Amino acid sequence: MTFGKYIRTVREKIFKEDRSYSVRQVAQRIGVEPSYLSKIERDQVAPPSEATITRLAQELGEDSDLLLAMAGKVSSDLRDIILQRPQLFAELLRKLRDAPDHAIHSVAREIRDGDW
Amino acid sequence: MIELKNDHLIFRFPEVHKDAECRISFQRTLRIPDDNRAYSLPPGLGDFPLNLVDDYASGVPNAWNAHGGVFLPMYQAEAMWLSFSGSYPMAVKVAAGKINAVTGEGWENELSREPQDYVVIPDQPWLDGFSVMKGMIRQFVAMPLGEGYTAEEQLTGEAEHGGLQIVVFPIKPSYYEREEEAFMPIAYAPLRAFSEPVEEMGLAPGGLMRQEIYEDEYSFEAWETSVRSRCYVHIVNSVQFFSVTGAHPPSKPPTAMEYTAAGLPWFDYYGGDLKALAGAEKLAGLDSVAVKKLKKGKGVLADNEAVEPKVVKRLGKGNVREGEF
Repeated sequence: MTFGKYIRTVREKIFKEDRSYSVRQVAQRIGVEPSYLSKIERDQVAPPSEATITRLAQELGEDSDLLLAMAGKVSSDLRDIILQRPQLFAELLRKLRDAPDHAIHSVAREIRDGDW
Repeated sequence: MIELKNDHLIFRFPEVHKDAECRISFQRTLRIPDDNRAYSLPPGLGDFPLNLVDDYASGVPNAWNAHGGVFLPMYQAEAMWLSFSGSYPMAVKVAAGKINAVTGEGWENELSREPQDYVVIPDQPWLDGFSVMKGMIRQFVAMPLGEGYTAEEQLTGEAEHGGLQIVVFPIKPSYYEREEEAFMPIAYAPLRAFSEPVEEMGLAPGGLMRQEIYEDEYSFEAWETSVRSRCYVHIVNSVQFFSVTGAHPPSKPPTAMEYTAAGLPWFDYYGGDLKALAGAEKLAGLDSVAVKKLKKGKGVLADNEAVEPKVVKRLGKGNVREGEF
């Protein structure tokens, strides 16, 4: 599914329950023109900036990293992390490329439960 | 399995259902006046930063390493609320200093229905404090352990645990799939050595706030009690946060007076037909921070002037509660 179509699907699903999720009102809340959001949803323009995608993700209750990936982008904080230690992270990412999700979750940030 | 992502705790139970996931975050907020008047809900001013205890193993107290979990920074007398999100129903027990915030009873890993000692996601979007009576809570306010303010110390006489303890149970898939259509989707820093012992914080009851803790609408058998995920959330004084993590804590939030004077909104939440729990007698009998301070002969609580919110927004299910300060 394209970025625009996904956004439209999610927004319209919420709109069925909450009428404040019209194109006009969502656009207003994330700080873009309604016509621009409409074009994004119809894939008539390229996906918006990282900042706009992040606001859109918050508005729709979606994961910003997932939406950025659908838009072919990587968040700037991730880029900064990699650029600080490029060899280390390049090696880590290549090693994890084929790892199953649960293994990656545990490397990512799994929180340990101890004795209490 | 619990993952830390973007300062949110993500609880997942893939062994129960692919959709069994919920997020819990800890919102910075202003401290409401502690003057026995009932206030509306204060805003969310952003997430508290969460850090893995395991990332700072050499810099945190030994007990924290035993507990595992995460830690966050709070200033003395700073307030917080918990934000819950997710469409898959979960039962969430929250304790402060191992005192259950809904019942006032000591910590138990298991769920209890009589009395109900948990909140239900997604019906309950937020928890701002200790449930002291029907429709009323006392705000979570951070105070140093050992000075007698926290709920834990007032009820047990001991300053042992501090922090927050959370355990989450998913609903059985059969109950979710039956009602699925009814639900709406809604740095790693280098280790720093430090010389002073970490000042641990606990949560004390603050000002009164209108907030209902909703009754569980499911049958008790609906909960999958054979699986659970627990997380210990330690609280470190913000002043020491930098020496532990090398990162700066968030700045102090505005006072209730500053926020209100700026014309910014407070909130009321309408939960529809959901019934509210009665509140816990044990918690209702606790001294609030302001009262305790007076009783200890330490004068009046600073920045505690009464306010008259000019803008109170009424929120329903799925609305976001954010301030703009």
